[in-house]
Amino acid sequence: MTTHTFEYDLDLNMQPANGTLSFDETGQIISSAGNEILAQVSAGDVAEMSVIAGVGCGLLCVKMNGGGERLLCRFTMSAMKAAGEFCKKVNYYTKTGEFVQPDSKEKLVCEKCGRPITEGMTICLFCYNKISVLKRALGLMKPFTKKIVAAELFLTVLSVIYLLVPLISRYLIDDYLRPMKGTFAQIAVLAGAMLLARVAGEIIFILSSRVFNKSSIDYANLLRNAAFDKIQRLSMNSLSKRTSGDLIKRVMEDTATIKEFLSDGGRWAAEQMIMFAVVIVILAVTNIKMTLLVFLSVPAVMFGLSRFWKFIHLRYERQWRKNSKCQSILHDIIKGIRTVKSFGKEEIEIQKFSKATRELAQVSSDNEKLWAKLFPLMTFFTGIGEFLVLYFGGKDIIGGSLSFGVLVQFTMYITYVYAPLRWLVSFPRWLAEAMTSMVKVFEILDEEPDITSVAEPKNIPVSGSVTFEGVSFGYKSYEPVLKDINLDIKPGEMIGIVGRSGSGKSTLMNLMMRLYDPSLGRICINGTDIREMSPAHLHENIGVVFQDTFLFAGTFYDNIAYAKPGATAQEVIAAAKAANAHDFIMQTADGYNTLIGENGYSLSGGERQRLSIARAIIKNPDILILDEATSSLDVETESVIQESLSRLVKGRTTIAIAHRLSTLRSADRLFVLDEGRLAESGTHMELLKRKGIYYRLVMAQRQTSKIAE
Amino acid sequence: MENNTQKTASNLSEAVDIGFLDLSKAEFYVTPGGFTGLKYGGEVYQRIVLRRALPVASAMEYISVADHENREIGMFRCVDSLNAGQREIVVAELEKRYYCPFVYQVKSVKDKLGYVYFELSIGRDGRRYDKTCTVKDVSKNIRMLGDDRLIIFDVDGNRYMVESLAELDKKSLSRLGPYLF
Repeated sequence: MTTHTFEYDLDLNMQPANGTLSFDETGQIISSAGNEILAQVSAGDVAEMSVIAGVGCGLLCVKMNGGGERLLCRFTMSAMKAAGEFCKKVNYYTKTGEFVQPDSKEKLVCEKCGRPITEGMTICLFCYNKISVLKRALGLMKPFTKKIVAAELFLTVLSVIYLLVPLISRYLIDDYLRPMKGTFAQIAVLAGAMLLARVAGEIIFILSSRVFNKSSIDYANLLRNAAFDKIQRLSMNSLSKRTSGDLIKRVMEDTATIKEFLSDGGRWAAEQMIMFAVVIVILAVTNIKMTLLVFLSVPAVMFGLSRFWKFIHLRYERQWRKNSKCQSILHDIIKGIRTVKSFGKEEIEIQKFSKATRELAQVSSDNEKLWAKLFPLMTFFTGIGEFLVLYFGGKDIIGGSLSFGVLVQFTMYITYVYAPLRWLVSFPRWLAEAMTSMVKVFEILDEEPDITSVAEPKNIPVSGSVTFEGVSFGYKSYEPVLKDINLDIKPGEMIGIVGRSGSGKSTLMNLMMRLYDPSLGRICINGTDIREMSPAHLHENIGVVFQDTFLFAGTFYDNIAYAKPGATAQEVIAAAKAANAHDFIMQTADGYNTLIGENGYSLSGGERQRLSIARAIIKNPDILILDEATSSLDVETESVIQESLSRLVKGRTTIAIAHRLSTLRSADRLFVLDEGRLAESGTHMELLKRKGIYYRLVMAQRQTSKIAE
Repeated sequence: MENNTQKTASNLSEAVDIGFLDLSKAEFYVTPGGFTGLKYGGEVYQRIVLRRALPVASAMEYISVADHENREIGMFRCVDSLNAGQREIVVAELEKRYYCPFVYQVKSVKDKLGYVYFELSIGRDGRRYDKTCTVKDVSKNIRMLGDDRLIIFDVDGNRYMVESLAELDKKSLSRLGPYLF
């Protein structure tokens, strides 16, 4: 027998527990812990199951058919989402009598470590193989393989050239300078060869840098565009989980971090490792005893350096966060300076900022002091091999078992050994930062959008009837915002949606525009489920005016034509005229080419709203959605806009969320939402006569108007 | 000036009805369904929600009482103003609504790919158990509440409270140290 199960983790006294709530095809809901049955109800006796969220916890409650409520189980936030899903299955059964078969759920917990898998991810970040992240990032560099191989070849040649210089020095010293033999020409040839080697090295360095930089810039561009493209395709549900700042950071900063790592880190790593390997071989072949002296201190130094970097990294992380806090406070104060001054809180804000900067100064100072103590020590111990080489080398020279040229050669090669070692110790941190950025970018690239298009969309004409059939929805699965909405809108009707704040009006509009999909039920246009249409086709034929208008940085023309990129100037002007925006636009010096700045900051609320209306109507949409389009405007401005709206809505299916009586009266029908349910529907007069929720809302509004007089 | 300020403040209290309950007429009880109910002013509320107005600063003061649809019935100033039996019911309900176990020990911290994984020894009411939690955006989700108290939010929204940093053992404090801002 198929069973839905929900694992809860608290007992009724809020102590940790391992309990199971099961719901099977016979309609029995059983709460058990091990073999002990704690509670049992029949779904047939249940009117509704709901999740009640506490603070840091939740509970499942059933409302019984005969009245009364019963507490079934409690759980922490870790089980909240699963509780919501369980609830939906039970409520579907109680409503329809149909038992939904369990679907293949995404893994919520890692099978390897037992840690929860972060929402939106399919892999456990704790167990995520760092090598696989790097492999994936390197895999994306395939289009640049030829360039990178060429750059690596340059680097190899460069390494060989750099390593020739000490060798030439040795021959110059041992064969010509010390024995004081040879001609000036012979010495000049060797010196010239050294000079040539250096010049050739620099030229090759420039060439390889250019190739690496170009490849890494192109790579970063590829990643950036891929991430931005994906963001555009993600649903509102996915986007609302992250802040706009976070998304911007991923597209710009994280891709830049990856680029710097590959162009600088990757290049240096390759160069240093090649040099290191070649130098070790040369040193070992030249003098094994001296080579061992060079490496004597290396293991201890590497260990010390790795501990040092881990320690200093955390301290710098703390400094970064203090700095971030200062910036945050500053940003807030400057952005809200008007509020600060209006309330006379300048002194308090100064003290707040001073405290934050003092803390930052203290942490920075501590870090600098530590760095000043540790860095010289670190440098000394890293280079201690040099002193050992000089001492023992000097002894051997005096004893006649070592030539001066070989010692000079060794001391020159030592820099090629210690430089990569020092660099190698900080490499893990650099790598960790780059991989964190890679994971963040891949997180975006891997996320599947909730709103998808079917393989063969039915792009029927959007004009016509709109129906909501048993629609339920919640932004969080355990907190439904709309419950079992059934409504029917005829073609060409002007519908008003009314209700208190938080009753679900805007959510209804979001579902209508398919910014989200309903959890239950469906929304149809002309009998076709909107999920069977392509989102692009739906959005092309729906015009929307939001309460909070967003205007892009650009001209009046750009903003109006945004909805219809190929619009002619005449169409833009016609749309502006219809929206009563033409007059104020023409009063500006540059007319429709006037730059309006970020989010239209230089415009009044009414002007922005009218631009928004012009943008909505330029594509002549079949369905018009007005989401409290005039709520923030004064009555006079609103009447101007109402006049333009009344021209627009003729013969067009229009759905308007509104509070003002003037809007509501002109609607063909009104739907009244109350706590997510459709409470009333009818014309203005019908609803007034009913003396229900609508009547009370209207009376309250009239009362407020009277007080204002 | 001071008198005027006082006068304005008291006028505000008078002008705005906070809706304090007359506790002598209130009776909290436990329903057969396992919830907390309230009888007040001739009404019977089968399931009420108790909400702390100041859960951080003053957990047992200014408690809001709402019905099952989160419509406020009224408030009361202090849990201590209730008699022993009523206080027990109210405190139990508050403890069930606000779940935030205490952190007794930080056993390990691993920082991987932008997420911090804590192994904690946590508990409430004298019981202790181990718990692994994952924290994202540490600067937002590990917060100091005053000078000595700390709260941690994990990726699921669970909360864990360090009641006193000074009372944590040295190792736990050093593990938490890099994340205290």
